[in-house]
Amino acid sequence: MTPTVSMIKVLGTVSLVCGALIVGSNIVTLARIRHNQEFIMRESVTQLLPGLQKQVIYGYNAAGDLTILPSLEGENVKRMFAGYDASGKFLGVVVEASERGYADLISGMYAYLPEKKVVSGFQVVDMRETPGLGSRIGSDPKFAENFQQLDATHPIKAVKHGTKQNPWEIDAISGATISSRAVGRMLQKSVQEMSPIIDKNLDRIKRGN
Amino acid sequence: MSDNAVSCHSAAPERNLADDNPFLNGLWKQNPVFVQVLGMCPTLAITNSVRNAIAMGLATTFVLTGSNCLISMIRKMVPKQVRIATFIAVIATMVTVVDYLVKAISIPVYKALGAYIPLIVANCIILERAEAYAARKPVFKSTMDGLGMGLSFAFALTCLGTVREVLGAGTFLGFSVFGPKFEPWLLFLLPPGGFISLAIWLLTFATWRERKAKREIAAAKAEAEKMQSVAVHA
Amino acid sequence: MNDSLGHIFVDALLINNFVLCVFLGMCSFLGLSQKFSTAWRMGVSVMFVITVSGVLSYGAHLLLAALHVEYLRIILYIIIIASTVQLTEMFIKKTSPALFRELGVYLPLITTNCAVLAVPLFQDSRGYNLVQSTVFAIAASGGYCLALMLLSLIRERTYLSDVPSLAKGTALTLVLAAILSMTFMGFAGMGS
Repeated sequence: MTPTVSMIKVLGTVSLVCGALIVGSNIVTLARIRHNQEFIMRESVTQLLPGLQKQVIYGYNAAGDLTILPSLEGENVKRMFAGYDASGKFLGVVVEASERGYADLISGMYAYLPEKKVVSGFQVVDMRETPGLGSRIGSDPKFAENFQQLDATHPIKAVKHGTKQNPWEIDAISGATISSRAVGRMLQKSVQEMSPIIDKNLDRIKRGN
Repeated sequence: MSDNAVSCHSAAPERNLADDNPFLNGLWKQNPVFVQVLGMCPTLAITNSVRNAIAMGLATTFVLTGSNCLISMIRKMVPKQVRIATFIAVIATMVTVVDYLVKAISIPVYKALGAYIPLIVANCIILERAEAYAARKPVFKSTMDGLGMGLSFAFALTCLGTVREVLGAGTFLGFSVFGPKFEPWLLFLLPPGGFISLAIWLLTFATWRERKAKREIAAAKAEAEKMQSVAVHA
Repeated sequence: MNDSLGHIFVDALLINNFVLCVFLGMCSFLGLSQKFSTAWRMGVSVMFVITVSGVLSYGAHLLLAALHVEYLRIILYIIIIASTVQLTEMFIKKTSPALFRELGVYLPLITTNCAVLAVPLFQDSRGYNLVQSTVFAIAASGGYCLALMLLSLIRERTYLSDVPSLAKGTALTLVLAAILSMTFMGFAGMGS
């Protein structure tokens, strides 16, 4: 057998085995990964909208049309979570957003109450910020207080630590200015994008269908 | 301590221990981080906390054991020219598998390890073991070698992670060690701290090894003198 | 991603320097910084490899996304990198045999340099387009080259100093790298 043929044979066999391993592990772990992601998402949404009993996932497109999504499937799908309490009363909408922070992308989720036009909570989902400094945007309780009643009628922005004067401003963490500003930009851009869509479909969202 | 970080193909495995008991050889004598100085990227990057260090160590162990095993199985079939390409293909496959496994086991850990799971492919240890050992030795020994090296890598990562987390955050695996009044040395969580911690560990182990060698030489000398005096008096 | 090109460039080169802040390319950073002449030659070779494979990987990423086989990306990127390194080797061998001999075994080792694999992975996760990816690749590899050169220059100075024998070699290099890393922390917040 010529060396070339034997080379091809070996490479072919190795590729087949490797391919089988990859595809196999993908299939085996898919359900479990999906389950984990949904669990974490549900936890986060419940923390942002206390009293949540039921959630509806709405996908939206550029024109502002909503469709109900059955699950968390799909990458880069534009979606929002509408939450309702036990009696079916509409609590608010949770939206995912991301923005470039100091080290890398910061992904977060925030709760938005469309009737009062207010951001009522913010959580960091994923970040690579400097531990002990930028990472405090996820753990600092004083920083979290910014998001209890953040006014969304004016452009949201982060201001220097200690200079917050208006309800649409975020008091940045001193030593974590860049990360705090990233959070501000993230919320501002997302609210700008989402609130027209939410307002347009508000009745439908409140009903949950 | 001589400069042994010259290339990935540096330290030649000690023939006897590597052949007889590859597990122990990998585990201590040829510790990939402290002795061979390989696999530096994850060692410095992921050791911010003990949990991440252990997770990364176990993931690398999985890849190392699996790839050593597979490569040893196919070592006789692979022609010389495509050797490296085949090894890399196998390693990349194991890394993809471990990527899914970690994601399935714990998403917070997966997020913490971030981009470094795919980077296990570029971990010099794995390719070095494949070429230096798995390509030549039988399956069982290769698997044991992979397991030993992987676990010792995990051990090294944990040592580093402990120092960095305890001093840099005041916690161990999330549990506060010094109480709430402790002002942590933030530097240890930052890149310079990683470098410094590793340097200190290397110096510690080098000192320990040197002392041990000195003791052995002294003991051997004493033994030789005893033999000589016995011979003289006999 | 809406980052401006200038920001991407400065960020990858200085603020989040690949070697000193993100800990990529450490093996060769610690192992090849003994001499300045080797260091800068290695740095430039790596720059070439990273830039070429970064751009090719961007194309590969588009292909994978179109075919919905994202899980093959690690293997595909590694294949691209290995091929680029092979090409670089042949190119250097033809144009400058002296350089080829000097770099020796370190040239094929660029394949296992984490920095090279990390660039396409970062490009993916940040969603850069082609131009941003190219700028990012050049800046990131430039940062690696810069750090390597700086460390080798410092190390050359230490050969005439009285260093305890136990600390010679890797331990000293690590401490020097720590100090270098601390100085690079001073770039934090540039351009924001």
